Order: sequence, then structure tokens, then C-alpha cells
Amino acid sequence: MHRSHFRLMLGVLVAVTSLIVAGAAGGASKKSTAGSVTFGAEQEPPCLNGFTSGCNNTWTSWTAGIALANVMIVKPDFTIKPYMGNAKVVSRKPFTVLVTLNKKAKWSDGKQVSADDLIFTWQTIVNPKFDLASRSGFDSIARAVKVNGKAVKFIYKTPYAPYKVQFATYSIIPKHALEGLDFNTVWDNNYNNKAGQTMASGPYKLQSYTKGQSLVMVRNSTFWGKRPTLDKITFVFRTNTDTEIQAIRGGEVDAIYPQPQLQLAQLRGQSGLKVQTNAGTTIEHIDINTGAGNSSPLLGQAWFRQAIAYSLDRTGMIKQLFSTLNPGLPTLNNLSYVTAQKGIYVPHFAKYQINNKAKRLAKVAAIMKAHNCTKGGDGIYSCGGEKASVRLGTTSGNKLRELAVEIMQAQAKDAGIEFKADSQPSRLFFPRIAANKYDLALFAWVGTGDPAGQVDIYGCAGDKTADNPQGYGGSNWKGYCKPGVTNALKASDAALNPKARIKLVNKADALMANDVPTIPLYQKPTYFVFKTSLKGLVDNPTLQGPTWNTEGWKAG
Amino acid sequence: MVTYIVRRLLYSIPVLFAASVLIFFTVTAVGDPLANLKQNPLFSQQTIHNIQERKHLNDPLTTQYAYWVKDAVTNKFGSPLLQPGTKIWNDLKRVIPHTLQLVLLAEILALIVGVAIGVYSAIRQYSIFDYAATTFSFLGFAMPVFWLALMLQILFTNIFIKWHVRIFYTSGLSSQDPGSGIHFWIDRLQHLAIPAMTLMLLSIAQYGRFMRASMLEVINSDYVRTARAKGLPERTVTLKHALRNALIPVVTVSAINFGALIGGAVITESIFQLDGMGPYFLNALFNQDAYVVMAWLMVSATAIIIFNVIADVLYGYIDPRIRYD
Repeated sequence: MHRSHFRLMLGVLVAVTSLIVAGAAGGASKKSTAGSVTFGAEQEPPCLNGFTSGCNNTWTSWTAGIALANVMIVKPDFTIKPYMGNAKVVSRKPFTVLVTLNKKAKWSDGKQVSADDLIFTWQTIVNPKFDLASRSGFDSIARAVKVNGKAVKFIYKTPYAPYKVQFATYSIIPKHALEGLDFNTVWDNNYNNKAGQTMASGPYKLQSYTKGQSLVMVRNSTFWGKRPTLDKITFVFRTNTDTEIQAIRGGEVDAIYPQPQLQLAQLRGQSGLKVQTNAGTTIEHIDINTGAGNSSPLLGQAWFRQAIAYSLDRTGMIKQLFSTLNPGLPTLNNLSYVTAQKGIYVPHFAKYQINNKAKRLAKVAAIMKAHNCTKGGDGIYSCGGEKASVRLGTTSGNKLRELAVEIMQAQAKDAGIEFKADSQPSRLFFPRIAANKYDLALFAWVGTGDPAGQVDIYGCAGDKTADNPQGYGGSNWKGYCKPGVTNALKASDAALNPKARIKLVNKADALMANDVPTIPLYQKPTYFVFKTSLKGLVDNPTLQGPTWNTEGWKAG
Repeated sequence: MVTYIVRRLLYSIPVLFAASVLIFFTVTAVGDPLANLKQNPLFSQQTIHNIQERKHLNDPLTTQYAYWVKDAVTNKFGSPLLQPGTKIWNDLKRVIPHTLQLVLLAEILALIVGVAIGVYSAIRQYSIFDYAATTFSFLGFAMPVFWLALMLQILFTNIFIKWHVRIFYTSGLSSQDPGSGIHFWIDRLQHLAIPAMTLMLLSIAQYGRFMRASMLEVINSDYVRTARAKGLPERTVTLKHALRNALIPVVTVSAINFGALIGGAVITESIFQLDGMGPYFLNALFNQDAYVVMAWLMVSATAIIIFNVIADVLYGYIDPRIRYD
């Protein structure tokens, strides 16, 4: 070998070895320290002010949002408990909720979290100048009365049953830091007060936010609750599922909370990793357009919708989709409550689940025959000249949903009903649904476990206008209007007795189980993967998410 | 040469102007940028109205174009659709250096390796090495980038799991505490290594083939035969006489590649979670923010124009026969 070639190869070898040695040394020292966790976040918050429409994103509240505590908290079992304070009804006429704050609750700049902050939060949320994602509950408050430095009475315009959800959903914001500022533009990239100090009432406060890369939260020493064990939680953005998987396998991150995808199943067998999975609050379902805009008048008939429901083996489909990810995922049989809500959840739609294929097909055949439908040469029924053929669409690009459509097409075809695939990207799909231009639509509602606001989805109690002569609810894109359902749901929003409320909601659900404007499918499973060396991490399938209890996290 | 460069840069101005017209009218032809926001009940009419006022969306297209150009030149490309408090240029300033680091690393290594392979293949034409290099080139052209990226991620993750040695990181730009100075750059190199390998493969294949073809043409030319006849060592003939001329097409292609990769490494940057031009563009596309998309396209077009000028200048530098007036 020529001497210069030898020198060149030696140089290359030295360079590569140096990188490996540096990497090995660096890799060893860059493991999570005893007091920190690196969390792979599947989405980057568009900005940090989670109240505003442009920043409203679940990951905003799950990352930086842990700096801002709520009065109440939703636990993994869907019960709502006091957190930074408490909210309870003190009067029914007028409906009045007393909100009290923990005496020790203070902001990270040393000032107390006070009644003034509670009132300021309400005033900010209802201010029409601010483009907020939601004002639910706060827009029902007529006035606020300060009781003392740590308590406020909120007097509502009408009884508002889901008041606990309201105070579990919205964080309290500091008056002294934000008063006078434009809430539309403030707190885009930080949570600073007017003096530039980061504000927090939660267990961690925002230390730094590097757009596109990471968000670092450090222990808030003024936290009113149990002292957080970890020094630091770093959220690094890993938006690609395959990259997330390799990052947790290779120890580059300590925890991930990905959307369920089939390739996640490989993590179950990985040593050093723990997987927690639960049925979440994302309710996958099929909406049926019963009114104008559909392509088949058969969809306006309850018997036909029942036949569709009977033709589907939802349990079989769920097994096919989730046997590797969440083998025990149950079929959802209620439109308002989730399976984990023991004693509340009543499976009204279970009657449509017939596991035996022959019996299932026979049931559909009986319904079709009773309505003078006959099977054509292609095996599809025709009813009074109208073919039992409808469009089934979903958001294209979502593999699980596309698979679900294929499975259901095959099941329905066996029963003599044709589903024509009609999927589109979500930016086209949802406007079409909202314009009532569909037959069957497979998508999800993200719930809280509380049925507040269901009258918007299933009722017709809204203002009647030329464009909306039936007064359909704002999210009722099904053309569905049943007075019994509307009245029960409307009454439930005002029912203060929890048992009476549950009864009303279930009454509406039972009626809908007969009419079938919607077919519930399943709750999308949550998937929480973390190193076994971490303690205290517990999946919360509600909107609180995996970071609901960061003060209890420990790194081994 | 200086006159030539200045003239080329001045010629670029009408090209950029034409590019801006094409970009603006093509992007706006897609439709109303507020169409989806208008259907979203979370956005109030006041918000829609504010955005329309801010972006002059009720004015004729030519007026909107004029405001957009004014924003681009005097106001850092203005602000995104939904975030009036931020400037698009500040985000671009953040992401461009990250992409430059990746592209620079990948292209320089690809050039070194590709040129070496091409030269040796040409000198040892029809040898086992030549055939192997040809096969490797075709593999490189055919291999999908996203697949290669995933395979490399899995490979280095498995190495870590088996031997507890972290050679390279599979995602991200930096570790949590990368340190400063040399430690920072070693950490950055370890994060960019796998993405660079992914990008390099296609470039190595391309440069190797170009270099081989060019070298074969040059080593059979008269002046090279003369140099050999004069008794010069083969190494001097190859490296001093043949290589320089054979480099001309490769340099041209690499300069243009460099410019194109500034906006073209979308898949690689997205998979490896590098905060570069790629993910920035994809986010803007998913959020249907036409103003960010247009700014991104202008920056990409500018990069291509600049690197074309660099290619021409390098061309003249390498080949003294070419004189620019």
C-alpha cells in the first residue's frame, strides 16, 4: 500500500474511533440524571397560550401547561376531584358555585394565587376581543362575587351541571402578570410576568422553549402541593411514530405517549420498558346523515340504520385492529359515557353486537325482508327500487381508520349492504361533514367523560333560522331531531343532582340506540411507554393526559 | 471576474421577481387561505375579519401581491396567518442554519467519497472495484430515502441496545446539555451523522457516476497522453492534469444540488426531527399557512439562484480557459 494511502486510511480510522469514544463517553454521561426525565412529545405546541384558538392543542396543556394548575382535576377513573382548590354548589336559585383556593397556592414569583385571579380568568375567557378556543361554562356566569382573598362565588345565568368539568378544564391565570395585555398575542413562547419572570402555579415551571426542538420544565419551588421529586422534565418533539419508537428503544427518551399505531406493538416485548394502555376518551364512531345531503333516502329510515348497525361485527373489527396493541379493548355501546365509568355506563347499543355471523346475517335479512327488500344478483339488497348502497368515508391517511373502513365494507357486504369508500384528507373531510354532504362518516369526538354539551351534537334545541329551520345543534351534522332526545339532553345540562343527570343522559342514549343516528365503535386506546426505572407514571386516559401527576414522578 | 459576479447577481433580481410572481399567484390560486378557518366554529368572525384586514385579503390580487412584497422586503416576510406577534423571517433564521449544517456535512462528505470512487473506477475501468461501484451507484439511486433512514435508525439503536455504545443519535439536533465549544459540535455531529448518511447515499452515487464518466473522457485526451509521454508519474498525471478538468461537471452538479437540498431535505429532516427547512415547510403546509409557504418558497428559490452563480464562478476558477467578461 502506498504510504499516503496508509496515512489517509489511518486518519479516517482515528476520526471514526474518536467519534465512537466521544459518543460512548457522551452517551454514558447523557443518560437521564437521577432527577430528570426526557419525554418524547408527539406534537409540538403551535404556541404556549393554550386558551387561544391558534394555540389550542392537547400537547400544549400536557407540556408547558403543567405550569398552570386547575382548581379541579380529572382522575384516571374519570372522577373529578379538588386539586388547587375546590368548587361546590352553595345555592340552586340562583345557581351559585363557590370556588375556593388552597391557602398555600402561590405563583412562582411569590404572589398568592387569589380570588382576583379567579375573577380575572373568568373575565378574560368571556372577553369577546380574545379569540379563544372555548368559553364553555364561563360564558354561563352572570357575575362573580369576591368572598375573601381565596374564594369567589360565581352566580350563573342558568343552572350549569358540568361546573366541575369547567374548573378541571381551564387553568387559572395571574391577574398581576396579564392585566392590560393583549391576550391574543401574550404568552406565545413563554409564561412571563411583566418583569420577565416565568409564572407557574403547578409543580413545574417553564425554564426554556427552543422552538422545533424542546421545552424544558424545572421544579417549581413554590408549588403548594407535594414537593416534586424530579429536578427537570424535558419535552423533546418527536412527531414521527417510527422515530419515537427508536428513540425509546435506544434510550434517547425516557417516555413517549404516541397515538396508537400498529408498529407500537413491538415495544411490549422490549426489556426495560413498561407499557400502560387504557381505553381513552377519543370516541371513534360512525355518524349517519339522516337528512338532506345524503345519497340514499333509506338512511332516513330508522329500520335501515338498525340493519346497518346489526350488519357490523364491531367486536371482531376491534380485535383485528387492536389485538397486538390493546388486546382487551372493549366495544363501546353508549354514546355519552365511557366503559370505565362503572355504575354510569349502560350499554344500550350492545343489542346490535351479534358475535355469531350466521345469526347476524339472519337478523339483517329479517329486517330487510320485513321492509320488502330483495337481494340482487350482486348480493346487495334493493328496497322499493332503492339499492342498499351508501358511502362510508373517513380521514384518509389514518391507517387504523382506513383499515376499519375495509373491514366494515366486507362485513356489510356479507349482510347485503354496500359501503362505498369515500375518504378524504381531514381538511376536506370535516368541512364536508359540516356541510351535511355525506352518508356515513367514521371519525372521533374527543370527550371528557362528562356528557355536557351533547345537545349540540344530537339535539335540535338551537335557534331556528332560514339556514337551520329545525334548529339543529351546532355540531349536529346528522339532520337528526327527536324531541325526546333533545329534551332529555337539555335537561341533563341543568340537572344538579348527579343521579338524576345520569338518568336523563341514559334516557337520551336509550332513545338514540333505537334511532341509530350514530353507531359507537370504540374508545381509541391510549399508549403510554416509559422506562421501568421511572416510578409514579400513571396513564390518565382523560384530557388530563400522561402528565397529570408529574409531582409524583421519580427517576430510578 | 468581479464584474461577472456583479452582473450575474443583478441578472438574478428579475429572476427573483419572476419567481415571486409565480409563487404568489400559484399559491393564492389554491383558494381562500381562510376557507377552513371560516368553517371552524372555534374561530370567531372577528378573528377572520382581523386576519382579512391584516393580510388585505379583500383587496385585488395585484394589491395583495404588492403588500406581500412590501412585507417580504421591509417587514421580514410579515407574520404567519394565526400568529400576528411573530415574524416569519425569525423562524426562517432559526431553521436555515440547521439545514445548512446537515447539507454541508452531507455534500462535502459525498463529494469526497464520490469523487474518490469515480476517479478510482475510471482508472481501474472494468475492474471488480468498478463493477462494485456501479452496482452501489444503482442501489443508491433506487433506494427510497425514508426506508434508508428507518433502517439506519434501527441499526444504530440495536447497536446501542446490544453493546451499550452510542455511536450516533437517531433523532434530534442536540442532546439536552450538549455543552459548549468542541463538545457542542461533537454532539451536533453525532446527531447529524445518520441524517447525513441518508442524504449522502444518493449524492455519492450521482457524483461517482459523473466523475467516472468525466475522468474516462479526460484520461484518454491528448494532453494527458502527452503528460504520460513526458515521463510524469501516473499519480501526477491523474491528480494534477486529469482530475482538475474532470471535476468541472461534478462541481457544477454539486453546487446546484447544494442549493436544491436547502429546500429538498424535507423527508430526511422530518424523520430525524431536525428543526430545519423541511419540517418548517411541512408544518406550514398542514396548517395551510400560505404566507409561510410563500416565504419558504422564496428562500428556496433564492438559494438555488445563489448556488447557480457559485457554480458558474467555480466553473471559471477550475477551468482557466473559461474567461468571463
